[in-house]
Amino acid sequence: MPATNVQFFTYRICRKKIAMLNIQDLHLTIGDNPILNGLSLEIPKGEVHAIMGPNGSGKSTLSYTVAGRTGYEPSAGDITLDGDSLLELDPAERAAKGIFLSFQSPVAIPGVATMNFIRTALNAQRTSRGEAEMSSAAFLKVFREKAKIVGLTPEKLKRPFNDGYSGGEKKRMEMLQMAMFEPRFAIMDETDSGLDIDALKMVGDVVNDLRGPDRGFLVITHYQRLLDHIKPDRVHVLAGGKIVKSGGPELATELEIGGYDQFTEAA
Amino acid sequence: MPAALTLNDAEHALAASLPDGEVATALREQGLPTRRDEAWRWSDLRAKETAARSPSAEMVDPKSAGVMALADRTEILFANGRLVTDPSSLPEGVTLTVAPALFDLDTDEIVAALGSAAPLVVVRIDGSQAALTLRYLADGDGYHAQNVSILIAAGSHLDLLEVHEVTGAPFVNARTMIDVGRAARLVRTIAQPAAPSATLVHYSEVSLQPKAKLRQVSVARGAALARHQTHLSYFGAADVRLGQLYRLEDTAHCDFTTHADLLHPDSQTRHLCKGVIDGRARGVFQGKFYVARPAQHTDAQMAHHALLLSDDASVNAKPELEIYADDVECAHGNTAGALDEDALFYLQQRGLSADEARRLLIDAFGAEVLDRVDGDAMRDALAAVYGGGA
Repeated sequence: MPATNVQFFTYRICRKKIAMLNIQDLHLTIGDNPILNGLSLEIPKGEVHAIMGPNGSGKSTLSYTVAGRTGYEPSAGDITLDGDSLLELDPAERAAKGIFLSFQSPVAIPGVATMNFIRTALNAQRTSRGEAEMSSAAFLKVFREKAKIVGLTPEKLKRPFNDGYSGGEKKRMEMLQMAMFEPRFAIMDETDSGLDIDALKMVGDVVNDLRGPDRGFLVITHYQRLLDHIKPDRVHVLAGGKIVKSGGPELATELEIGGYDQFTEAA
Repeated sequence: MPAALTLNDAEHALAASLPDGEVATALREQGLPTRRDEAWRWSDLRAKETAARSPSAEMVDPKSAGVMALADRTEILFANGRLVTDPSSLPEGVTLTVAPALFDLDTDEIVAALGSAAPLVVVRIDGSQAALTLRYLADGDGYHAQNVSILIAAGSHLDLLEVHEVTGAPFVNARTMIDVGRAARLVRTIAQPAAPSATLVHYSEVSLQPKAKLRQVSVARGAALARHQTHLSYFGAADVRLGQLYRLEDTAHCDFTTHADLLHPDSQTRHLCKGVIDGRARGVFQGKFYVARPAQHTDAQMAHHALLLSDDASVNAKPELEIYADDVECAHGNTAGALDEDALFYLQQRGLSADEARRLLIDAFGAEVLDRVDGDAMRDALAAVYGGGA
C-alpha cells in the first residue's frame, strides 16, 4: 500500500545522519602543485571529527579552502554547509554562516584594540545574519566570562590584538573568539601546537562546552594528546591530498604507535 | 661664473613679485629647486611649478571648513597669507606683533628665503600653559608666502596646533621659525588637509635650548606636491619625539624631510614616519641625524615605514646618520610593503568584509603615530584627517 511505503522511506532518511559539512571530491592546485586530490569528507551535525596527517599532506590547505581564502579556489568538487554550497561565498559570508577557523599561526595586529575588534567582528556576523547587534554591556559580560575560561588576563587583553602575545597566548585568543562567536562549524588547525598541558585541557573545556547537537568540529592535529581532551567521533588520515583511512577514535592511537607510513603508501 | 639659468614662467612671475634685493637675485640665479638638487631629488618643485601665478587674492570673509576645530583653544587665523586675527584679542601670555619681511638668505634653501619675503608674524608665549591654533586657510590658484616666528620663553609650555587648510590649487610657501626656550615644552601638532591640486611647501626651523622638550606629530593628506621640511637644532640636551604620517591617493605627492643637528651631549630623539600610498601617488622620506663630536650620549632613532596599496604607488626614502661622536646610540630603519595578506584573510574570516578589513589595517598602521598624541579630541581630529573620505 502506498501509505506504508511513504512511512518506510521517511524512516530510512531519519536513520541516516545528514552531513552538516559535506566536502565532495575536492581538487585544488596551488601554482603547479596539486594539493588536494579528490578529498571527500562528511561531518554530520553534532559530531567532532579529527584529521591527522603528515606535514605537507594538505591539512592547512583544506582549512583555508573551507574558509574561502583567496588563492584557494578548488578546481573541482564542492563544499556545502547544511546543503548550501560555500564556494561562491567570500570569507566574511562564510563566517556569518557559522564557519570559524582557529588559525595555526594567528596574526598579531598592533594598532587594533582587542576587545573592539572582537565586538566589531561579532556584530558584523550578527548583522549579516539579520540578527540584532550585541550591546556593549552584554558583550562585556560574556567577554570577561570567556576570557577567564581561556586564561587571558585583563592586562593582556588591554594590549593591541595579539601584540606581544606568546604562541600559546595567541592560541588562547583563538579559543576566546571561538567561545564568543559560538560558530556552527569550527575548524581547529593545530590548535594544540605550542600549548602546555593546562592549555590543552582549556582547549578541551572550550570545545566540550560548545559541543552540541547543532554544531560540528573538524580538529586538525598531529598528536593524540589533544584528542585525550576532545574525544572525536571519527578520525581521518589525510595523505597526498585525500582521505586515505577513516575510523573511530582508536585510529588516533594506532597512528600514535605506527606512524603515518602505514597509510601514506595508499595515497 | 655659473651658466645663466633660463627661468620658467613661474619663476619669472615670482621674481617679478619681489622687491629688488638678494632674495630676488638668488631666485633669478638658482631658480626653484629641481631634482638636480640633492635635497629635492624626489620632489621636483620646478617641474611642478611651470606656469606663472599671480599673488593670491585676499579672501573675502574667510571661513574654516571646521577641520581640527577643537574647544578651548586660542586661534590665530591667516587667509591666503594675510593675518586675519586682531592681535589685541589674544589672551594674556600670548602676544603677537607683525614685523617687516626679513628677506633672509641665511638658510641655503631658496624656498625658505622666499618664505621670508612675507611680513614676519611674531608670536611670543610667556609663562602660560597656552593652547594655540594657527589656522592657515588657502584658496584660489595664486602664490603666497606666510612667515611666522614663535618664541617660547624659558620654562613655558605651548600646545601648538598648525592647520594648513588648503582648498583649490594655490602654491603656498609657509615658513615657521620656533625657538623653544630653556626647559620649555612644545607640543606641536601639524595637520595638512590639502586639496588634490594644491602645492604646499612648509619649511620649519625649530631651535631647542637646553632641557627643551618637543613632542611633534604631523599628519598630511592630499596635495599635488607637499613638502614638510623640518630643521631641528639642539643647543643643549633636549628630548624630542617626532611622529609623521601621510596618506596619499591618486597623484598626490608628499615629502617629509627632516634634518636634526645634534650639537651637545645627552639628547634623546625618536623619529617615526609612516605613510600609506595608493593610486599613482608618491611618498618621500628623507631623514638625517647629524651628530657632532661633542654630542656624546646621543640616543637617536629614526624609522620610516610605507604601506603601498597599489602597483603604481611609489616611495623614496633616504634615512641618513652622520656621526662624529663615538659614544652614541643611533639607529635607523626603513620598510615598504603591501597590506599583509595573512592579516586580511584573518580579519575576513572573523566576519569583516574585504573593505572593512583593509580599512582596519590601514587605521592600525597609522595608529602607531596617532597614539603619540595626547588628548582624545586632538587624536580623533587628526585620525579624521588621516582616515577621512577613505
